[in-house]
Amino acid sequence: MSETTEVTTPGPAGSTTRPMIALEGVSKTYPGQHSPAVEELTLEVPEGAIVMLIGPSGCGKTTTLKMMNRLIEPSTGRIILDGDDVTSVNADQLRRRIGYVIQQVGLFPHMSIGENIGMVPKMLGWDRARIAARVDELLHLVGMEPGQYRDRYPRQLSGGQQQRVGVARGLAADPPVMLMDEPFGAIDPITRERLQDEFLEVQRQVAKTICFVTHDLTEAVKLGDRIAIFGAGGRLRQYDTPDEILTHPADDFVAEFVGGGAAVRRLSLLDLARLQLDEVVVSSGGDPAGRHPVLAVDDAGRPQRWLHVPGQDTPPPLVTVPVGGTVYDAVDEMLNTRAALVLVVDDDGMSRGALRWDALVGDLRAKGRS
Amino acid sequence: MTVPTTATPVAAPAAARRSLPRRSRALLVTPTIVVVTVGLVIVWIRSQDFTAPGRAPEGRALDLGGLLASFGEHVYLVAISTLVVVAISIPLGILLSRPSAGRLGDAVLAFGGFMQALPPFGVIIIMAFSPLGFGAPSAIVALVIASFLPVLTNTVVGLRQVDASYIEAARGMGMSAGMTLRLVELPLAVPVMVAGIRVALVLNVGTATLATFIGAGGLGTPLLSMLKLGRTDAAFAVAALVAALALFVDWLAAVAEQVVRGSGG
Repeated sequence: MSETTEVTTPGPAGSTTRPMIALEGVSKTYPGQHSPAVEELTLEVPEGAIVMLIGPSGCGKTTTLKMMNRLIEPSTGRIILDGDDVTSVNADQLRRRIGYVIQQVGLFPHMSIGENIGMVPKMLGWDRARIAARVDELLHLVGMEPGQYRDRYPRQLSGGQQQRVGVARGLAADPPVMLMDEPFGAIDPITRERLQDEFLEVQRQVAKTICFVTHDLTEAVKLGDRIAIFGAGGRLRQYDTPDEILTHPADDFVAEFVGGGAAVRRLSLLDLARLQLDEVVVSSGGDPAGRHPVLAVDDAGRPQRWLHVPGQDTPPPLVTVPVGGTVYDAVDEMLNTRAALVLVVDDDGMSRGALRWDALVGDLRAKGRS
Repeated sequence: MTVPTTATPVAAPAAARRSLPRRSRALLVTPTIVVVTVGLVIVWIRSQDFTAPGRAPEGRALDLGGLLASFGEHVYLVAISTLVVVAISIPLGILLSRPSAGRLGDAVLAFGGFMQALPPFGVIIIMAFSPLGFGAPSAIVALVIASFLPVLTNTVVGLRQVDASYIEAARGMGMSAGMTLRLVELPLAVPVMVAGIRVALVLNVGTATLATFIGAGGLGTPLLSMLKLGRTDAAFAVAALVAALALFVDWLAAVAEQVVRGSGG
């Protein structure tokens, strides 16, 4: 990445991947206030990662986010974007290189969806055809038919659709960095979950460096590659992977913030694909008394029903979960269907193995980490 | 209003909807009234025999050519004063609505309220003794003082009521303060601002009838002479023309308002 050793700014020692955003000793004290909103914050956001900023109200997470694009000017410290010190460059020019999505969405009501999305490219001087192509591409990306939505106005869209457009607008000029301030905070829980899934799907395609403010720990665990937990007075208490934060909170504050549900939340971090699943015997009339569950399959090899399950006289009904999910999804399905045994299947419906209820509290083993 | 008929219950839900055809129909009412009023006044003037003894002054005052000249002066006073009001109040309102202006906006609006409270008649007379003297310039200054407040207030209020999230989104995507004003704040404030200009226009049409007291002409001139002579019906005819002008100007502004609202939010 940086073959040219242009070490004009002292690079952070010991980091392997270059941080896309780095805050160095950044503080913010608002005029007329004694204590700082953010104090001596040093934070590095690796390229391509989603970093979730979370903490109680007034902890300075939004202030931190807004200092990254200098909507709020830091009182002290330096902001490094992609290796450049941007603490004192032209803030308007800087912001055109950074996507920005807010909770209230803020789509301009007097402009069509297409004009809203095309605003930043227009400011950057793209020609009309390129903007139009980009608008259609982005609407596709966020799952909205361009022909149907391009010329509509924001008020004609639902809240969820508006925020999809908000995300598309943030991505418009293909900025390397996206800042998102509780983008799904004002959306109903069902739509929010769908938007989160879509957001992860979009991120898989665009691979931006994202800073995301939230007050919802579930959202932070679900979306974040790393989580930064802020305490009162804008102090960073812990900055780590979701797994690490849930299993090893740095101090009492973090432990309390993470709360009692940590063990359950961790289930959503365990991908079924990474799990060592129980072996399943595919039977065409083999030994029905073995140690493994026996599955009946059709001609194409797709599971039909259980023939035999160890320790049970009559085999339970077959319940399947997709391998793309997490252990959390599997447990959810088990509780819903009252099944103590679920079959994990791949995209083609073929068996990948079984997951037992008692394995969850016992010998849950991950495959060797890839 | 519509007279209640058997059709009312059926028409009610349709009227409740803010459909465009209904609003367009509402816009047809005013021009109809204006045309009918002006037509009636002209028919009445034509029907009068001004050669009868003692009616010569009336004949001179209601001579169609003379009335048209007064009408022209009137429109001139209203147009120029409103243009001046717009040219002063809108930039001033923009400045006062900036966050950096802080409380100054409220102070200036309070002062504007004080100026507005001055009776226009008094201001017109006082202006005649200013260096501008008698004539149209003094009248225009007086009209500006009497009508700048609604435009100023509506500009400030219109800009202040623009949702902060639009401004944050605009600044966040890299618009400068000027671009945010031009591309986001002003377009969203325009309907409120146009409503203020509409009030100023109508105020000016009425107040301009007082311009005749300092020799600035307008429809006040024939109106005043008829009042002095006690010719009630002739005075009424001129007053009807002033009213028709006010209605017409208000209608033009309403059309403009609907056009901006239609294209805006």
